[in-house]
Amino acid sequence: MVLLLAAAPAALGDYQIYLLTLTLIWAILALSMGLVLGFVGQINLGQAAFVAIGAYVSALLRIKLGFDFWLAAPIALAAVVIVAALVGLLTLRLRGPFFILVMLAFAEIVRLVIANWQDMTNGPLGLRPVAPPEPILGLSFDTKTSFYYLVLVVLGASLLALWRLVLSRTGRMLIAVREDEILAEFVGIPVMRHKVIGLCIAAFVSGLGGLLLGPFLTVLAPSQFTISASVDMIVMVVVGGVGTLIGPLLGAVFLVYVPELLSFTTHYRPAMMGVLLILVTLFAPQGLVGLAQIARAKLTPCKPANGAKEQRHAG
Amino acid sequence: MLAQQLANGLVLGGIYALSALGFTLIFGAARVVNFAYGELLMLGAFFTFTIMSYLDVPFFAALPFAMAGIALVSVIMFYTTLKPLMQGSFTSLQGELQIILATLGLLYVFREAAIITWGTAPRQMSAGITGIVEVGDVVMTNHRLAVLGITALLVVGLYLLLYKTKIGKALRAIAQNRHGAEAIGLNVDRIVAVAFAISGAMACAAGALLGTLYAVEPSMGGSPLIKAFIIVIFGGLGSVPGAVAGGLAIGLFENLTGAYISFAFKDVFTFFLLIAILLVRPSGLFGRVH
Repeated sequence: MVLLLAAAPAALGDYQIYLLTLTLIWAILALSMGLVLGFVGQINLGQAAFVAIGAYVSALLRIKLGFDFWLAAPIALAAVVIVAALVGLLTLRLRGPFFILVMLAFAEIVRLVIANWQDMTNGPLGLRPVAPPEPILGLSFDTKTSFYYLVLVVLGASLLALWRLVLSRTGRMLIAVREDEILAEFVGIPVMRHKVIGLCIAAFVSGLGGLLLGPFLTVLAPSQFTISASVDMIVMVVVGGVGTLIGPLLGAVFLVYVPELLSFTTHYRPAMMGVLLILVTLFAPQGLVGLAQIARAKLTPCKPANGAKEQRHAG
Repeated sequence: MLAQQLANGLVLGGIYALSALGFTLIFGAARVVNFAYGELLMLGAFFTFTIMSYLDVPFFAALPFAMAGIALVSVIMFYTTLKPLMQGSFTSLQGELQIILATLGLLYVFREAAIITWGTAPRQMSAGITGIVEVGDVVMTNHRLAVLGITALLVVGLYLLLYKTKIGKALRAIAQNRHGAEAIGLNVDRIVAVAFAISGAMACAAGALLGTLYAVEPSMGGSPLIKAFIIVIFGGLGSVPGAVAGGLAIGLFENLTGAYISFAFKDVFTFFLLIAILLVRPSGLFGRVH
């Protein structure tokens, strides 16, 4: 799979490379949402705001202050994490619908500030042009192919880091907190701290996606960071499989790449997203990953069929 | 100036209250946060608009039929998607998240269905009421006064239904203790379905009235949903008097901050108010602590 993705640009045209890059950026965003949904156990309708902060802070540092991409990136990521920590400390005490609503309000505040602070962000008209990252270590990123590789590396690194996180002590504590908050607190896990850490890590990954989004699209506008961007991420995670790392990636491929290939469906894409979300929650709550496990269990009759449930946590 | 702003805020708050009522009713009866609720408002406006233009009837003749239509849509929505997900217990977070996900999916389906059916262009819809009233410095259109009147009528109607009828008593019983209601032989599913029907009808009325004040378009459901959400947090999830008080308060707050501080940032102030309330009272201003 990795080799296939690495070799892909050699065989493909410009449009296909563009599409693959778009899919990979969405995969990064879906991965971050997967962390919140699957490991913090919350629906975050404010995730797009973290993406927006990463994208705008880095682009503004470069355009207004003439910073290098590689200098702006860590500052932007730090900004995202600080905001996430503050927001998390305030909101993660809230449960279910209350958390969802406050994050929705947070996302709207960020979007409205971007839309109305015209001197700084150029408002709804959009901030442009966002140049490709400057060359570093002898590598330049001004072609579509080289930028594709940059995105692929960022996705690969995030995936590896999150995989290690899930297997680590912190990861297992996150799962414990998600499964039963009261019990986790009872056995001495600092619940609040782990939820905030989980949200900060997810926001960091979202911020990475935001950093790449600006140079990829060359223009940033508040309309890219509405609630529906967060919902799109949620659909990808749910369709792929909640509580796994591979699920969000599958979801991104399934919901960005496949509809573009079947170009007649783009008109109906949002409707399709909705129908898929309903069907998956009703009939396949474990998503594509769960379906694959069921199919495998059916095809190999000697294996016990309960593997699907256990593997959810191993992810 | 101040009196005029207060009057405007009152009308706006009345419509907010109306749009929050159906939302809070469903939460009270079924513990469902219905993210597709704003789209029911939108569909209600379009149903009314379509009946008016096809049958060539005035607004107030079309509205009852549209309300019945949306009530039906709401009940179908309950039986096909939400009821199967509600079988599990309400305490499990997973189940709650799944219901929220399903209603998010419904939001997309309804909005896209409207775009495919009616297109994205905003339509004008007239309630057929003209003229203005002047009281001192305050100028108010008859149309806005009528909207306020209808809102009051519907609020009183809902109140009577909840507190003076048998079905209202059953609804309140379910809101208080679902298992207890089941134990004394109430058919919980059917009563919740009735709540969904009433909620749909209220949503339709709110949407159609909003449509006459602004425009009828597929994207019109987003703002009322967020406002309904804020209002019920303000007034306590599931509380009818709370929704009315919350609606009026938010309408006044928004008009005053918009007029005296910054119009562009008036929604931002409302959101900050909401966050501040939730920080002090995590279950809402008048909400019960669970």
